[in-house]
This record gives sequence, structure tokens and C-alpha cells, in this order.
Amino acid sequence: MAEFLQFFITGIAVGMVYALIALAFVLIWKSSSVANLALGQIVLLSSWFTYSMLVQANLPVWLALPLVIIFALFLGWVIERFTLRPLIAQPILSLIAVTLGIGYFIEGIITFIWPWSVDALPRLFPRDVIHIGPAVISQEYAWVVGICLFVFVLLTLFFRYHKMGIAMRATADDQMAVQACGIPVTRVFSRSWMFACVVAAIGGVLISSIGGITHGLIETGLKSFSVVILGGLDSFGGAIIAGPIIGLCESLGGGYLTPYTWAGVKDIIPFVIIIIVMTIKPYGLFGETRIERI
Amino acid sequence: MKNKRLLIITTIICLALLVAALPVFSACGPKEKTLKVGIMTPTTGVAAEKGVPLRDANLDCIEYINNELGGVNGYKIKALNLDSQYKADQAVANIKKFMDDGYLFFTTSSSTEMGYVQAIANRAGFPGLVAYSSPSNYHPPEHIYGQMPDYGDDWSAFAEYYVKNIWQGTGKPKMALHLLNNPTGAGAKNAAKALADKLGIEIVDIEEHAATTQSETESLVRIKAKNPDVLYISSTPKPTAQIIKNAVELGMFPGITIGVCHAAMTKALVDLAGADIAEGVYGVFPTVSWGEDVPAMAKMTEYCQKLHPKDYGNMDYVAAWAQSLVIAEILKKALDNVGYDKLAKGDAKAWEAIEKYGFQKLDSYNVGGLQSPVSYTAGDNRLGKSLRIFQVKSGKITAITSWQEAPLIKYEEFDWYGK
Amino acid sequence: MSLPCGIRNYTYARDMTILRTRTHWALFTGLLALLLTAPLYLGNYWLGVGNLIGITLIAALGLNILVGYCGQLSIGHAGFIAVGAYTSAILTNRFELPFLIGLISAGITAGIIGIIFGLPSVRVKGFYLAITTIAAQFIIIWVINHWGLTGGFEGINVPYASIGGLVFDNDAKQFYLIMVIAALGVFFAKNLARTKIGRAFIAIRDNDLAAEVMGVNLLYYKLLAFFIGCFFAGIAGALLAHWTGTLSAEQFSFTESILYVGMIIIGGLGTTLGPILGVVFIRILQQLLTVEVVPWLEGTFTMFPAGFASGVAPMFFGLVIVLFLILEPRGLAHRWALLKAAYRLWPFSY
Repeated sequence: MAEFLQFFITGIAVGMVYALIALAFVLIWKSSSVANLALGQIVLLSSWFTYSMLVQANLPVWLALPLVIIFALFLGWVIERFTLRPLIAQPILSLIAVTLGIGYFIEGIITFIWPWSVDALPRLFPRDVIHIGPAVISQEYAWVVGICLFVFVLLTLFFRYHKMGIAMRATADDQMAVQACGIPVTRVFSRSWMFACVVAAIGGVLISSIGGITHGLIETGLKSFSVVILGGLDSFGGAIIAGPIIGLCESLGGGYLTPYTWAGVKDIIPFVIIIIVMTIKPYGLFGETRIERI
Repeated sequence: MKNKRLLIITTIICLALLVAALPVFSACGPKEKTLKVGIMTPTTGVAAEKGVPLRDANLDCIEYINNELGGVNGYKIKALNLDSQYKADQAVANIKKFMDDGYLFFTTSSSTEMGYVQAIANRAGFPGLVAYSSPSNYHPPEHIYGQMPDYGDDWSAFAEYYVKNIWQGTGKPKMALHLLNNPTGAGAKNAAKALADKLGIEIVDIEEHAATTQSETESLVRIKAKNPDVLYISSTPKPTAQIIKNAVELGMFPGITIGVCHAAMTKALVDLAGADIAEGVYGVFPTVSWGEDVPAMAKMTEYCQKLHPKDYGNMDYVAAWAQSLVIAEILKKALDNVGYDKLAKGDAKAWEAIEKYGFQKLDSYNVGGLQSPVSYTAGDNRLGKSLRIFQVKSGKITAITSWQEAPLIKYEEFDWYGK
Repeated sequence: MSLPCGIRNYTYARDMTILRTRTHWALFTGLLALLLTAPLYLGNYWLGVGNLIGITLIAALGLNILVGYCGQLSIGHAGFIAVGAYTSAILTNRFELPFLIGLISAGITAGIIGIIFGLPSVRVKGFYLAITTIAAQFIIIWVINHWGLTGGFEGINVPYASIGGLVFDNDAKQFYLIMVIAALGVFFAKNLARTKIGRAFIAIRDNDLAAEVMGVNLLYYKLLAFFIGCFFAGIAGALLAHWTGTLSAEQFSFTESILYVGMIIIGGLGTTLGPILGVVFIRILQQLLTVEVVPWLEGTFTMFPAGFASGVAPMFFGLVIVLFLILEPRGLAHRWALLKAAYRLWPFSY
């Protein structure tokens, strides 16, 4: 029974990590219907930039982290302005392929500037663990959960009440109508990419402070696709709920199935979930069903 | 219309000239007397953290040999370094280029790269040297040689040391294995399967993980339930650091003994886990540490500080510097025994000569003291067979033993091997 | 097909031929001559590159049928190539069946796996289907890594291909084998586009609801597209297995799948010339970058931190893919068609 509690807590913590990255994805999808397949690379780039600020330039934490946020804003603006603006009305294949190309490009830049591909951030959180009954969870994960929920609340409020948030939702629904109303669509896209990159940067800083900066952050980015699919592509609440669900499935499935099946079955669970969700409920738990007409 | 016909004729002539000139392109180049060696390293891609210092040291050492020692017996070494990107198709393309362009032999850094190309190299008789090897590279032994002990040897050396020096209880100590899901982990698993009984160790649990794992708490919970005395992790630095951190969180460590393989026993592990968490972790490594008093340390430190100061302190740099010294020794032995002309052609006969009179004539070459002495004994393609046990003390990786020889395990004689 | 001025077709057979004018025939024969005599003047290394191009071409043709003609976005192609490669490897290595049986079974097995993972295509489209194929890729690779029959993580050795008594043990012989199969593949793909099946695919790509209304059976044709696309991938995989000599799951990564999608986009979707141009362009670019440019950059710009130039290759690729999509979204094949039109209409082209 103690095992179950440990699996449960670890699962939720790891799932929240996925959910944080998934939030960035949902943000872009919700405002511009673009699937950002370069998310893993953006997370990695922000983590490396944080490393640059904290270790290479030796800035104090209270100065470095706002700089990372500014960098992420700038990154989002650059990506949107130069690669997505020219492709505004193109079919979805072009947009997906462009994000794939951007991902490749960012990987190259990372290898160019920081060729030694693995490093660690200085410790941002205290080392002690929190005991919940017989199970333990490290403080870093607790912070991740907390910040993730905070970002989620912030985003939901923004999209519901702020003028720009409502404009983003309108743009995702019908670009032409929005333009007819006089809202600058390009500015909406720009803002949404900038915010998404900031969320991804926050996720990157948290994840790399737990496990170090390595190439594997990109695979973690891919796993968060399963969170997005399960939760519904255009729902923040879906991402927050689906994240822990996927984390739990991984943790419990890995914990209980591994002795009976193969070692390493934990890695495949998010992808099997994607296939199952696709066949049963393609739009996810909380996504909006799309109705197509000829 | 006349202009169009002229255009067509000109195009055809140009194309024909281009086709005719192709052999000329492939044949041109300066003709000086050099010894050509191909060096493959994973300088980009997922293994770049190790590939870059490995490549730096390989080339720095060859520069040292060419500039200060005047080459090998007066002939300069011409090394071509190609990036394998840690991918199979690129590695295969690279080795074909080496074979085509008359290189005498090739080296790779990792067991995975060698695994991609060993079938081609073995079929063509093109000898190869691998720095961080795995038993699958040379069991059964053909034309591939291991410079340092492999991941299976890591396990057996550590296990032997543990039973003799650390284990203080009665009966058989209980060991759990945590393996990376690639040849690094498989090497340790195979060695454990072959030798655990003979050494008197009971393997209570074998767990696997991926290189990108975020948390291994659930597998450690399973291991904790089996109450092991020692945990051996055969993996790369990041997952190893993750496992050690999770073990500390669960309260398992300090408590049980943790041993890691040579892939993880590097500065990166201490950085990623944190010096306080990694304190007391044992590990093995086949080369010396920086700053030890061995003949080759001075020159290596000088070139490292001069050309690649960021690599100072990196153990992979030591391993690849040693590899280049071994390369020079192999060439020297071959030159002494057969002379330059036979080797100059770089064809299959030259490869046979390099193997028989270079690789197989190595006898207790001390590699400047940087690693265990290299020798060839028939039936055992491991050139270096000993390693030392290290421990993390106050954030530094310090040696606690002298050179321990790892026994030869003839995996091919077990029927579970290779299935 | 656009023809030079003055050429007219008076029979159906004339209208449907692939090679219409004498210039077409002359250029085609020239190309064949060049390819067939290649082993005489190309060294082992460039023959190896040629083999890799041939293998990639077969797989890219399959992906083009799936994505370009039928519009089913698939970013998991490397997984299906892996299925073909391992099937052939297991059949020739463990069960010691002849190479040809291995080849055909590789194609069929990959096709069947393609159908299984293509089933969601009936319910979802576009991006959702792309995610499903990504998941398919990872599941296939995971199964390969954990199944004892495939050698698990240590990989599996593959003997040389052999037909009858002829063993293909060097690059030159494999070059002929791969070129013949690639030529057959190109011929098949070109003709597929002109048949009823091809037209059904194009209808599904353009608007599948309208196609269904018109009477095109979506389930049958979408799964058929997956089968054909993955059949090609399986054949390519089998040839790859016998060319490399040893297989391990790391060769079939997600980055490879992305590269394939990039190749057909750069080449031009929905044409048969597109994959050819895209594959040749990308593979030769890869080789030049890795073998020539990077060492040169490293040697020349030693002031930068070590290893800086190794980032140049992915950077360049990403840039090329992005620029192509922005500037020429219809790919190299479209540029080639424009060039031909300009040449024919000269001096009135603009």
C-alpha cells in the first residue's frame, strides 16, 4: 500500500511536468490553430539560455530569471514574425512542416552555441524531501506542481477576461471575421507565440533544475503530446487534468506491470494512450468536436 | 531555333566533360608520405557531450605526435575525423569512405558506433579500435579490438572489489542492477549472468530505464522491496544522476552501496547529481584522473590547456588521448615489422599487415601511464584489461585502488548469449 | 503534362505515354547509361551514397503516395521502414529463408502494420493523424527494442542479399539491385497516379467529404494508401538491412521521420519527380556538409569553442526546410516545371 501512495505521488508530480509543456502547446493551438512541433526544442533552448545566464554570466537569480522571460518573449516574436507570418493561410501540412524545420534549426543553434550537450543548473530549490505518509516527494516537484497550477489559473483568467485573450479565442475560431472587426490578427498571433514561449521557458527552467539540461528534453516534449491529445487540443483545463492522468498511468502502469511484462513498459504507456484515445475519442476529454462541412 | 540547338549542344558537351572529369576529381590530392588513420567520433547528436572531448583529445594528441615527435618513425599521421552523429547510416557512410580512401585502420569512440559498422569492417577485414567497448563488439573476436575494458569488465571488476573489500556481512551479498536500455546496460547484464554465481553474489532484481527518464522512483521502490546490499548502475551520467537522486529521496542511499560504470563516472555525474548527493558513490574507470603523476600527464595537460581549455578535467579527454597514443604505437609496430611501402597502399593487404604486425604485436605498451598497459593475447581482442576503482570524495573522483585486471569472459560459449 | 509547342496527340495511347518526344527519349537513355555505368567511375564511398539515395527514394515514394496523393499526414515513416528492415533481417538471419522471400514479406508486413496504425485515419485527419503516426513510430521502435526475436538492444546482423547463386557483397552489385527496384518503384508510383486508385486518392486529399459523397469508399482507399505507402517503406527497409549489414533500433529515430517528410516537401508533394529531387538534394547535402564543410569550418575558425561547426548541419537543414516552405511551397518539382516551361517558351517566358 505504501508503494501505491509513492507511485501515486510520483505520477502526479511527473504528470504536472508534462502538463506545463502541454499548456504552451495548447496556447498556440487555441489562438492560431498551429501545431507547434518544435516545442521540445524551444524548451531546451530556454533551459540553455538560463544556464548561460546563471552559470556562464554568473548573474544572480533575481536578475537571470526575468532575463530568461524576456528572451523567451523575443524568441516567440522572432519565430512568429519570420517563419509563420509568411505562411498565414497555407494548408496545415506546410505549417506543421515549418515547425519541424524550426525544431531542426533550433537544435543546430543549440549545438552551435553550447556544443557540450549536457550540463546542470545550479540548485534553485532546497534539497530536503517532503514526507507524505510513507511516501516522499522532493521539493522541486512540489514547486513544479505549484507553479504549473499558478500558470494554468493565470492563463484561464487571461483567456476569459482579458481583451487580448478573448481576441485570441476569436481568431482561432474565424480569422476573417476577426479581421473584419478590426482586430490586428498578426498582433494576436505574435502575442500568443510570445506567451507560449514564456510558458515553455518556465517549464524548461523547472525541468532542467530537476534533471539537468540534456537532449532528452525533446523526448519529454513529445510525451507531452499525449497529454495534449488526451486532454483536448484546445482546452487548458484538459491539459492540467490529463497531465497527472498520463503521469499516473505511467507510474502505476510501470510500477505494477513491469514485473509481469517487460522492463521499460513505462516508456510506451503515453503513446499507447494516444492510439487508444484517437480511436475512441479523437478530440480528447475536454476538446471541442469539430464539425466539418463541404 | 539555331540558338536553341547551340544551347543543347553546349549543354551536352559540358555534361560529357563533367562525367569524364569525375575520375580526376577523386584522384587528385597532394602526395606526401603519411600514415592514414580514420577517426570516428559522435561530435553532434545525442552523444555529443562525450563526442566533443573525445574528438578534441584524439586530434590534439596526433598534433602533438606530428609536431613534437616528428610523427611515427618520421612519417606523419594523417588523421581524418568524421562525425558519426551517433547514427548508423552516417557511421556506415564514414567507414566506407575510410575503406575507399586507403586508410589503414579506423577508430571509434563508442560501442554503439562500432556496433553499426563492425559487420562491414569484419567482412572486409578492415581493422578497428574502439575506445569504450562492449562485449558484443568482439565476441566472437574478429577484426575489432577494444582499447579499454568493456562494460562487462566494469561490472566484474567492481563486483570482485565489492565482495573482497566492502561487503562485511555473512553469506551472499544481494545486488540489484539498473541498466540503460542499450549495449551499455546489456554488457553489465551479460557479465552478471555469466559471473555472479562464481563470485558469490545474488542478483535480486534487474531494472531498466531509458536515457531520457525523468524519475526512477517507481523502479527504485521495487528494488527497495527486495532489500539489496548494493546497487550497480550501468548507464550514462544523466540517468545515473537521476537514479542516485531518487535513491537519496527514498532514503536508500547512503545505506546501500552504489557502484556505477565508466560511462557515468565522470565530472558530469557530480555536476548533475550535486556533490553532496553523489558523495560516496563508487565507480570504475579505465584511465587515470587528471593531475596524477604519470609520464604522459604533463604533455596532455599542456595541449589541453592550450587548445581546448574547456575540456580540462574531462575523463573522456584522457581516454581519447590514450587512444591516439595507442594508434601511434600500432603504427610504429607495423612500420618496424613490415616497412612503409607495404602499408602505403592502404588496401586489403595493408589492412592484414596492420592487424597482424601492428595490433597483434602490442606487448605491454604502457600508454604513458594513462590507462592499463595494452597487450594482445590470442583469443582476447581486449587490448587493455585492467581498470581502477574510484570513489566520489568531496565532489572529486578519486582513485582508491591500483589496476585490477578483469577476467576474460568467453560469452560466445554461453548459449544464452546473442539471443 | 505540358509539352513543347507544336507537339500534338491524336490517339489516347500517344496522350498517355510518359516519354513523348525524341528529346525525352534521348535524355532518358542518357540518364540510364549514366546510372548503369556508375560503378565504373564512382568510388566505393559515392556508390554507397548512391545506394543510400536509392533506398531513401523508395521509402520517399511510398510516403509521397500516402501524404502527397492521399493527404494522410504521416510522420512515422521511419517506424514502418524499421518493420520492413527487421522482418527481412529476421527471416534471412534466424529462419534462413531466401532474400526474395524476405524482401516481399518485409513489404507485406510493413503494409499490414501500416494498415493497423492507419485505422485512426478513418476518424481523424490532419494534425491528429500526424500525432497518431508519431505514436505508432515510438511503439514500433519500443517493440523492436524489447522483443527477443529482434535482438533487443544489441541489434541483429544481416547476411548479404543473394538471388539464386549471386551474392550482393559489394556496393557495386548492390547498386544495380537497388537501382532496378527503385526504377520499378518510380514506374509504379507514376502509373498509380494515372489510374482509378490514384484519382480516388487525389479526391480524398482535396476534400474527403466530397469524395465520399461522390461514392469513393473512404475506408478502403485510405487503408489502401497506408498499405501501399508502407509497402514501399518495407521494401526500402529490407534493402537497407542488407546494405548496412547490421540493424539496431537507433537507426530509425523520430528525426529520420521528420527528415523524410522534409524530403518530400522540398521535392514537391503530389508529383513523382518530387521525391526524386528531394531525396537526391537532401542526401547529397547531408554528405557534403558532414564530410567536407564541417571539417573545413572546424579547421578554419578555431577561435570558436570546439565542436561549434557540428551544429551547422541541423541548422542548415532546418533553414532549408523553412525557406523552401516560405519561398517555394510547391517544392523543387514545381521549380523544375517552371524552368521547363520557360525554356520552351523562350524568348517569350517571363
